[in-house]
Amino acid sequence: MDIIGPVLVAGMTTGALYALATLGLSLVWGSLGMLNMAHGTLLTLGGYAAFTAASQLGWPVPVAVLAAAAVGGLIGALIFMLVAYPLSRRSPETFETTIMIATFGVALTLENIVLRLYGGQPLGQPLSVGGSISLGRFVLPWQNLVIIIAAIALMAATALFLARTKAGRAIRATAQNPDAAKLLGVPVARVYLQVLILSGILAGVCGVLVSSITQLSPSLGADPMLKAFIMCVVAGLGNLPGAIITSFALAIVEAVVQFLAGARWGFPALLAIVILVLIRRPGGLFGRVEMRRL
Amino acid sequence: MKRQDLAHLMIGLVVLAAAVALPFYVDSRYVIGQVTLGLFYAIVASQWNLLFGFAGVFSLAQMALFGFGGYATAMLCFYFGMNVWAAMPLAAAATVVFGLVIGAACLRLSGAYTALLTLAVAQVMYLLIVTDTDCFIMVGTQCRQFTGGAVGFARFGDLGTRAMFKAKYLVANYALVVILFTATMLFTWAIIRGPIGLAFRALRDNPGCAMARGISRFQMQLLVFGLSAFFTGLAGGLYAAHFNAIGPGVLSFSQLFFIIAMVVVGGIGRLWGPLVGAIVLVAADEAMREIGEFRSLGLGVIIAAVMVLMPNGLIGLCENIWDRLRRLRTRGPALATEVSGDTPA
Repeated sequence: MDIIGPVLVAGMTTGALYALATLGLSLVWGSLGMLNMAHGTLLTLGGYAAFTAASQLGWPVPVAVLAAAAVGGLIGALIFMLVAYPLSRRSPETFETTIMIATFGVALTLENIVLRLYGGQPLGQPLSVGGSISLGRFVLPWQNLVIIIAAIALMAATALFLARTKAGRAIRATAQNPDAAKLLGVPVARVYLQVLILSGILAGVCGVLVSSITQLSPSLGADPMLKAFIMCVVAGLGNLPGAIITSFALAIVEAVVQFLAGARWGFPALLAIVILVLIRRPGGLFGRVEMRRL
Repeated sequence: MKRQDLAHLMIGLVVLAAAVALPFYVDSRYVIGQVTLGLFYAIVASQWNLLFGFAGVFSLAQMALFGFGGYATAMLCFYFGMNVWAAMPLAAAATVVFGLVIGAACLRLSGAYTALLTLAVAQVMYLLIVTDTDCFIMVGTQCRQFTGGAVGFARFGDLGTRAMFKAKYLVANYALVVILFTATMLFTWAIIRGPIGLAFRALRDNPGCAMARGISRFQMQLLVFGLSAFFTGLAGGLYAAHFNAIGPGVLSFSQLFFIIAMVVVGGIGRLWGPLVGAIVLVAADEAMREIGEFRSLGLGVIIAAVMVLMPNGLIGLCENIWDRLRRLRTRGPALATEVSGDTPA
């Protein structure tokens, strides 16, 4: 029975990371209808930005994390201004697919720039905490605790921002109905820009957290992004609490499957769950199925 | 025969003539090899274009189907000692079944959802092959995994061209790929011009009316998915047989997006788009080999820039220029509506 603790800790930690990645991804997907294939690269950039700030420039830890957030937000803004905005203006009807291809091109470019600048060998993220606390036989490494708390704090802050502030209300209004929002005087394009910046900030910090328990490599964000896609689909769009619950639940399922059947079966198990869920509920577990009139 | 068909036929004959003439003028084995590789890409890209450009299925499992065909061919030869020629059609049929299973699971959804699920399927396939370490059989003192593991399969049998044509075998293989490419283009054309193509045009122009007439989008898309899987799988088999090797590398992300980039650069939904894209990108790839480190970077910039700046690809750009020239000559605004209302095929 000693094994339940570590499996649960691993599941909760990856769950927190998946939830944070999913949050950023589904914010953009839910409001712009844009599946950002460069989201994983934003994670990578955040991780490397913190690395550069902390170990190459010698900045203190909080500043390094802020730097990661800033880089993520900046790249997010650039993606919107240079790619998403022109594409959505020119051909709104094919935007859903063209933006995936275009952002994949962006991801490929950015990932290769990172590869050129830092090389392909894995680097250690300096922002990590050693040691652990033990409660009886239950051992909880500090690093995992920091990740879980930081992720939950960020998600709470995002939820507060969306629920209580004027900008957050504008984001929700635009996500529900961009035309109505526009009629009521919401500057929709600026709201979209804010959403991408917010998503980039979340991704940047998430990248720092991911790299603190693994290692820095140019393909750091690929795996969390693919998992975040799956969480989004299982949860259904437009329900952030649902997405977060799904992330934790599926991460724990993944950890259990990996423990019982071997690491290579974790991802296939997730895929099987997605397909089963979608056959029963095409809109996802928490999503509403939209009735479309012709 | 309509004018558009005639144009496609003429282009097809010119392409075929150029392909036949190439080995008589070019002696370099390297060039022939690269052109062969480019044609493999063009075949897969044309099938992806059929799926995405015409049927509206954004599938990211195209290289998974290609890899499945290649692996099935290799495994049939390796485990059952089959002749490559017998294994290829069998493998292509198996790819159709595989494609129908993927399609049945993924095509109930649309747009980005389909893309994600097909991508997940392809990724699972890749991961399960690469992480396969259990011994299946022993070859000499070496352990072989059932799926070939991270190294894949090699030396399972070849096309027999090496024994028949000796040093000229590369040209013979090239001829085989040209034949497969021709068959693929004829097939694609037949699909677009036939009842299935009409069904998709109806679904696009007036979905309500089309559905009321009993056209099911799901069934039509599944049909195209299965049909395109046949040629993709066959190309995979021929690829494996040509190189006498197949590994998990064909399933990688970058290979998949190289194919997609070809369709994007050439022109989505244009019959000759994939071929134009394949020629341009393979040539660009050769040019960037000099600055090898920037190869993927350049590819990424090309994909993003083409998508934003000319979403209809090179062929779409040519069409625009052609339209403008024609309008200048006739000065009639009526022509413009006729052109934009016509389906680009």
